[in-house]
Amino acid sequence: MYILEAKKIYKSYGNKFNRQEVLKGLDIQVRKGEFLSIMGPSGSGKTTLLNVLSSIDRANGGTITIGGRDIVGMKEKELAEFRKRHLGFIFQEYHLLDTLTVKENILLPLTITKTPKREAEERFRELAAELGIFELRDKYPNEISGGEKQRTSAARAFIHNPSVIFADEPTGALDSKSASDLLNKLQELNRKRNATIVMVTHDPVAASFSERVIFIKDGQIYTQLVKGNETRQSFLKDIMKTQGVLGGVQYEH
Amino acid sequence: MSINRIILRSLKKNFRNYYLYVFALIFTVSLYFAFVTLQYDPEMDPAKGSVKGAAAFRAASVLLIVIVGVFLLYANHIFIKRRSKEIGLFQLIGMTKGNVFHLLCIENFILYFLSLFAGIFIGFAGSKFLTMILFKLTGVRAVADLTFSQEAFRQTLAVFGAVFLLIMAMEYWFIKRLSILSLFTAASAVEGKRMSLLQLVIGILGAALILLGYYVSSKLFSGEFATIDELFKAMIFILASVIFGTYLFYKGTVSFLFYLYRKTKGGYLTIREVMSLSSIMFRMKSNALSLTIITTASALAVGLLSLSYISYYSTEKSAGQYVAADFALTDRKDAEQFKKALDRKHIPYEETVTQVMMVKANIKPILKGKLDQLNFDPKSTPLPVISEKDADFGDLSPDEAYLSGYHDALKKFMPLKTSGPLTLKGKSAEIRQNYLGLKKEFLVSYYFTNGGMPVVIVDEKVFERLAEDMDPKIQKEGTVHIGIHIKDEALTDEANRLFLAEEFAKPAFSKFEMIKNNKRTYGLSMFIVGFLGLTFLITSGCILYFKQMGECEDEKGIYTVLRKLGFTPEDLLGGIRRKQLFNFGIPLLLGISHGYFAVRSGWFFFGTELWTPMLLVMGLYSALYSIFGFLSVQYYRREIQKAL
Repeated sequence: MYILEAKKIYKSYGNKFNRQEVLKGLDIQVRKGEFLSIMGPSGSGKTTLLNVLSSIDRANGGTITIGGRDIVGMKEKELAEFRKRHLGFIFQEYHLLDTLTVKENILLPLTITKTPKREAEERFRELAAELGIFELRDKYPNEISGGEKQRTSAARAFIHNPSVIFADEPTGALDSKSASDLLNKLQELNRKRNATIVMVTHDPVAASFSERVIFIKDGQIYTQLVKGNETRQSFLKDIMKTQGVLGGVQYEH
Repeated sequence: MSINRIILRSLKKNFRNYYLYVFALIFTVSLYFAFVTLQYDPEMDPAKGSVKGAAAFRAASVLLIVIVGVFLLYANHIFIKRRSKEIGLFQLIGMTKGNVFHLLCIENFILYFLSLFAGIFIGFAGSKFLTMILFKLTGVRAVADLTFSQEAFRQTLAVFGAVFLLIMAMEYWFIKRLSILSLFTAASAVEGKRMSLLQLVIGILGAALILLGYYVSSKLFSGEFATIDELFKAMIFILASVIFGTYLFYKGTVSFLFYLYRKTKGGYLTIREVMSLSSIMFRMKSNALSLTIITTASALAVGLLSLSYISYYSTEKSAGQYVAADFALTDRKDAEQFKKALDRKHIPYEETVTQVMMVKANIKPILKGKLDQLNFDPKSTPLPVISEKDADFGDLSPDEAYLSGYHDALKKFMPLKTSGPLTLKGKSAEIRQNYLGLKKEFLVSYYFTNGGMPVVIVDEKVFERLAEDMDPKIQKEGTVHIGIHIKDEALTDEANRLFLAEEFAKPAFSKFEMIKNNKRTYGLSMFIVGFLGLTFLITSGCILYFKQMGECEDEKGIYTVLRKLGFTPEDLLGGIRRKQLFNFGIPLLLGISHGYFAVRSGWFFFGTELWTPMLLVMGLYSALYSIFGFLSVQYYRREIQKAL
């Protein structure tokens, strides 16, 4: 059973005379509880894909169903409603609200679902402890480090137990130590809570934490790698090899 | 792209962004032009009435241009700050600072002078309307016609030209001071900070200072401060305490209160609270100075408007206190003469004749408060005395007396006890009376009451005894008060004309003449104050709106994030509405509250009715003011729609 299923997605920008096709008939399926990475060179359309899958941007063609519901046909208002209840987001630049404390930022999605205060408190306590940010609850974003900010942002994405969590280059602004910290936490949460994560990244190390990597090039799926029973190290080597063939920017690690 | 194209483009963009500025500019110019037109219009002379009226007009036009000038400078400062990035970009592509300044000059010149001429045109068209309002207010009967005043045109052009030069000088100075680098650094974003102890102290101090000012203002005319010197010091103290308190209120009290509220939420903030509380909590602090100025301006406008409307609104009633009938005469022969004239025209009337005599009285035992500062001797002050048969307070025993018709302002300065001993002094004998209380009715005209002292009502026998023992030195020319009341309202004008045509031997008064004179004076002052108040209102409303535009610009990123997370524009707008309720509501409420205490401390000098005129003024002010709040919500709505 797939939690997210996308068929023949097309997306183009521009007008009649100057049209730029970004996505050219992509098919993607994500199982419930899967940790999927999407990789590809710059300009391959991976962020566009994520935006379309997460309903922030609209596709020009194709169908996308999340948890059995078709999101392409939804109206703007329904989409927003759907996003706040069923999707979680982690952004490269954290996107925390500077005027709210760590705790207030994390609890924001729960206030929509009218979760009772006591239950919200419990969920916060558990999740913040897992991510190691419980002690920071009363601090403001400008008082904590980048890694801590991103873990806060992750907590905000997980707190309402969404069907799918979309992460757009979550490690893009972090140093390698904070990045691997965060990825370890994501992996843990993915396993413990059976949470579905779709992550866009250009960093092979980040991708090696996931179970499956999809490579896209010029708006189409190029290939995919499944980790299976491999170790993370050998999975990383596979990823880097594929990336070399793909001809994107090479990374040395 | 040539420089001209750049100018044209940014003009187009600016017009869309700053339509309210253009509107405010046009509006203030037309206000000013219309005002100056009235000032130079010879037809206005009957409305201005006197040299004083003309001087008031002049002073008001100076004040008007000062307010407008400060507003325009401030608004332009906000705009150029926001365009820092654009200016930096121009410099980056190789334009010198001189070039940039040149570009800004041309752009501003076009915008400014187009608005100026539009404003003059509208002001010209509107001046007839304003003239009609002024005529209506002052009760002058004349036809207003449209004349274009050359003098007004020249003066408006010169004054606004000077303001333009000032604006340009400010912008030149601004550009000169900045380096490309600093132009590119983003305007400081608002970040969360934790409450410090100092903030708490500031917060409490702010609220305390305002309350202290209010408290002293309520004591201002209650006899505690009796000399002019003390009174003046107390007023300065109130002003300083309230204004400084207001500043601290914005600096600390607001965020402190919000912080307390937030604390009770335990981190569980709804989207509405996020959009309103958290943003205001940190922003109000940095806007403390401008908010203080806006609040003070609002308080001033509300206070002055209320006071002048109180005096205008009370003209009939206070005329009734001064002239205790439609017409009041002090001589029987004069009365006969007037009555004959009325009979000839078949105007029905009623007559009340009251014997009045002046008697020195010792009112010291029934006065409350400090007495050493009075400028008369309370032990022996002349008061008018009438007999119980000329008043409707029932039968009095020979040792009982009422007082009636005490002017509100005097009542405040020298409050009376509810009972006590009162001694009336004839030429030889003294009569002790028991004072039973103060009645509201004004039974004789101000001719007898020295402008507001009460009348003593005594037993008929006592009155006779006093009449025998009368002191001729303190008696007025007339010893009888004859009130003529016209039965048919429709004939009062006619009666008044008859009254004016007659020559009377002794003092005689017409309530209608009194009302007419008062209306002329108060109508003029209300017109001028109304002008100033409207300017205050529009300028401060605009500044708040501009500030909100800037705030919206800074918060755009947040809207994008929240919309990505799935909050609908309506969710966000709910919060924005609440935020604007605070942003506009707090300065308004505080201004109105300041204004209320100012009015309350001294309204009785201006008229007889406090609540109706004051509430009307406040309601109207709030309604006009809220328009700016609604406009800003509309602005936010557009930006939030665009955010995703």
